Amino acid sequence: MDKLASLLHTTPATAWMVAKLVIVFGGVFSLAAVWTWVERRGAAMIQDRIGPNRAALFGKIKIIGLAQPLADGIKFFFKEDLVPHDANKGLFWLAPFLALVPALMGFAVIPFGRSFVSGGQEYHLALLDPGNGMGLLYPLAIGGMAVYGVLVAAWSSNNKWAILGGMRSSATMVSYEIGMSLAVVAIFMTAGGYDPSEVIKAQGHLPWAWNIVRQPLGFIVFFACMFAETNRLPFDFAEGESEIVAGFNTEYGSMKFSLLALSEYCHMMTASALMATLYFGGWQVPFVQDPSVMLSVASFLVKMLFFAWVYVWIRWTLPRFRYDQLMHLGWKAMLPMSMVNLVFHAWRMSQGH
Amino acid sequence: MFITFALITLLGALGMLLQKNVVVAGLCMVAAFFGVAGLFVLLANPVAAALQIIVYTGAIMVLVLFVIMMLNSHQEEEAQASHPVQRWLSLALLAVLALGGVKLVMGSAGLKALAEKGSTMPQAMTLEKVGTALFADHLLGFEVAGLVLLAAMIGAVALTKRNL
Repeated sequence: MDKLASLLHTTPATAWMVAKLVIVFGGVFSLAAVWTWVERRGAAMIQDRIGPNRAALFGKIKIIGLAQPLADGIKFFFKEDLVPHDANKGLFWLAPFLALVPALMGFAVIPFGRSFVSGGQEYHLALLDPGNGMGLLYPLAIGGMAVYGVLVAAWSSNNKWAILGGMRSSATMVSYEIGMSLAVVAIFMTAGGYDPSEVIKAQGHLPWAWNIVRQPLGFIVFFACMFAETNRLPFDFAEGESEIVAGFNTEYGSMKFSLLALSEYCHMMTASALMATLYFGGWQVPFVQDPSVMLSVASFLVKMLFFAWVYVWIRWTLPRFRYDQLMHLGWKAMLPMSMVNLVFHAWRMSQGH
Repeated sequence: MFITFALITLLGALGMLLQKNVVVAGLCMVAAFFGVAGLFVLLANPVAAALQIIVYTGAIMVLVLFVIMMLNSHQEEEAQASHPVQRWLSLALLAVLALGGVKLVMGSAGLKALAEKGSTMPQAMTLEKVGTALFADHLLGFEVAGLVLLAAMIGAVALTKRNL
């Protein structure tokens, strides 16, 4: 890093910041693109089909169809870009960016590996260094912004199905946010801090000390709420293909549709990373006290991609809920459960455990 | 940095006032909230910034936009021609408010201290400090606010749901 920085005539800190920007945003974005392929292959696997395996680089190198996202991207860029006649043009253009930017930003605070010291300079593997004062409030805040992309896309297309989808999704997100936040508050309490690095440190390297064992109820609530927040099946009420055509993105085509779809996958990545950080020890490697940097990054990636796979797995296993069932679940099951979780841990802490 | 966030806030607020389209006006307000959150970060208070975004942009504005879309009025009613008296009165009030605000800031103790001692980097606000302030120093106010909110919530449910 020092050599690279001196080559570019900058300080190591600046070079590292730029490198981190590229790693985090580029990494999340390309993982999201690859995950569209994983989703299709996973669906095929679950439904006993083969799935996309034809796309090949230069017509020769066929790595089980991994070039598919690339081909999709090229296709989306060259498709005709239609804007409905009565749409609100400005907002129609703005919506995909409103969806994508929060989806990418949410990852910034999550540490994807342990910090290390090199040449007297401490490097943190998270875009926002620990102790920034925002901590895990930041992904919650940015996650709350995600709804605007859906809402604006829905409203600006001037289409009944789109508006129905947008309204359903905004109601879902607002209702599930409360249960989710209370589950996270219980973690802040037991960890004694709200910075992701503190939460990870409090969990340690032993799997039975991780929050999944300490707060299983909180994990169930958080897990379910994350499905609602990311608009994934069984809670994908923004789209609901069998009921409202394609919901909020009915009128979208070409790259604008692709951006909306990719933002969902970016959200999935952030949500998986949050689950790994909050409940599964983040970058901690089980039974290894001081893992090397590479090992910690690998451990984090394994955990995160496992949850990203769970998203795919559940999508093709469970049917969609009905809308009133969703609201019942959110307000009458998730919220009381996370409150019980919070009060129980507060009581345990007051007893001095 | 300050200029950027201040401009976002002011332009957002102006856009909200001048826009005829209600949804666009709502989005302008979101931009203004964002600018305010940025200003909070510059004032070494990231907690307030995060809460501003979670509460105002993440929840309240979503509900406001939700209601606007529920009504879904694409054509707004024409505003009635306002009386000139109203306009002058509002202008005068605005001037008084602005003057009072500027005077308050200029005469504040903090500004005097700043002029004498020079600026020092303030200590960043943390969630722990907010919690201590709420539950130790302002417990009564906190509880009263909770009670008022609870009453408002029960009232809203009772008003909208006639047959419980």
